[in-house]
Amino acid sequence: MTGSRLHPFTLLAIAGALPALAWILPAPDGAAATLVVSLVLTLTPGARLGLTGIGASPGWRRRLVVFRMALLTAAPFWLFLLLLHDVPTTIATGLRITTMVATFVWLVAVLEPARLVEAMVAAGWSASIAYLLAATLSAVPVLKARAQRIVEAQRCRGLSPRGGIPARLRALQALALPLVLSALHEVDERALALETRGLVPGIRRTPLAPPHDPAAERAARWALLLVCLFTLVRRLIVQHPS
Amino acid sequence: MKSLTLDHASYWYAATDSSALRAVSLDVAQGEVVALVGALGAGASTLLLVAADLAPRVIGGRLEGSVSRHDRSGIVLPTPWTQVSGMAFTVWDEVAFGPANLGWPAHEIARQVDRALERLELVPLASRDPATLSGGELQRVIIAAILAMDPGLVLFDEPAAELDAEGAALLWRLIRLLAKEGKAILLATSALDALPDVADRVVWLEDGAVRAVGTPDLLAEGAACDAGLGTSVATVWRTGGLPAPYPLTVAHAVRGRR
Repeated sequence: MTGSRLHPFTLLAIAGALPALAWILPAPDGAAATLVVSLVLTLTPGARLGLTGIGASPGWRRRLVVFRMALLTAAPFWLFLLLLHDVPTTIATGLRITTMVATFVWLVAVLEPARLVEAMVAAGWSASIAYLLAATLSAVPVLKARAQRIVEAQRCRGLSPRGGIPARLRALQALALPLVLSALHEVDERALALETRGLVPGIRRTPLAPPHDPAAERAARWALLLVCLFTLVRRLIVQHPS
Repeated sequence: MKSLTLDHASYWYAATDSSALRAVSLDVAQGEVVALVGALGAGASTLLLVAADLAPRVIGGRLEGSVSRHDRSGIVLPTPWTQVSGMAFTVWDEVAFGPANLGWPAHEIARQVDRALERLELVPLASRDPATLSGGELQRVIIAAILAMDPGLVLFDEPAAELDAEGAALLWRLIRLLAKEGKAILLATSALDALPDVADRVVWLEDGAVRAVGTPDLLAEGAACDAGLGTSVATVWRTGGLPAPYPLTVAHAVRGRR
């Protein structure tokens, strides 16, 4: 089964359980195990085309893009950890952070915000809260695409993102300011648009196509929760025996 | 029956001292198309936000005077890409976003969505991802999304800005059709040449206040032409030094010459 065909709550449960286990299990072995699982997940099918950079590439290539994106996003954390800590701490914390990053990148790639909203509404959640959560998840590719457009526009005006540190800082400023300002401006307009399209607090939205939630997946979610709790309790008892 | 009534409505945006609307009194009846014209900053968009109950309720600011709405309103804003829900992967789902939020039964949602798609000639695009559409196509999707919610009062803010000539012609025909069905339409536009065929009344706004109200013939008057609010034919006529009254459209000009 591909990641995107799983029920959105199952995807969220996996994305929550893996980082939790990474921090609960002893490092480096436990964190390494969760990292392997999360990296394998990034290689499973189901990544959305909306994740910028994936485009219409063939399946295996698409998966490699998600895998590479996870590693590239985690790389700066390793650098900072290495500057601040010794090697064992860097490895332990780095594995955990990389698990978190890889799981989040995988989640963004496979979870369709629309399906999440449908699932939450069908489960009785407020549509506004569901939208807020889904919009947060869909913000990553949207902001990345906009940043790319701004970079291209600034290049057309002669700004080069290459060169020494001062040049790169200037380029960063030329990217960051329009990115933040345009995002803020769009938030205003989008709030008006959503309001006029009926997304107001207290509505009872009609689920259009609620995702199927098989009993096996519901059981798997409970099992994940129990595994996390069991591991946490066991870890506390092992570390702090009475 | 009145769908919208503004009585001496004045509005101030948050943290500003000067009012964006000044004592505007206006009503729009069911089945009527009222066009707002004016220079940039005249207050047309602000008036639409007040009419849609978005200002000051959502965007803040201060309102004086009274605004009465007798129908549910829907507003089409000028930039389509900021109005997509971001939650839909097909045009059909995008149009269904609003009706679903109203809690309608699924069959009624499907009926309204199909009807709106048909009216905006979007049926061939129904399964397309909204992110892959052109600006004009997306604008038609947004208009369909508002119409699918079946508002009694439809507010348009520069709805033709992203449309090509064919799309704009479709929109103007649709607006007349909506009025015929009994909807009240309030339209802010700079497409002045379309108004003689579309609008029942024209409201000329200047610095947030109503300067004149009348039939579309207003757009052929000297004062409107001086303010850049005449139709193309009237402006050419005047610029050419031909005598008043200026014709509103080519058809009027031809009739006048005969």
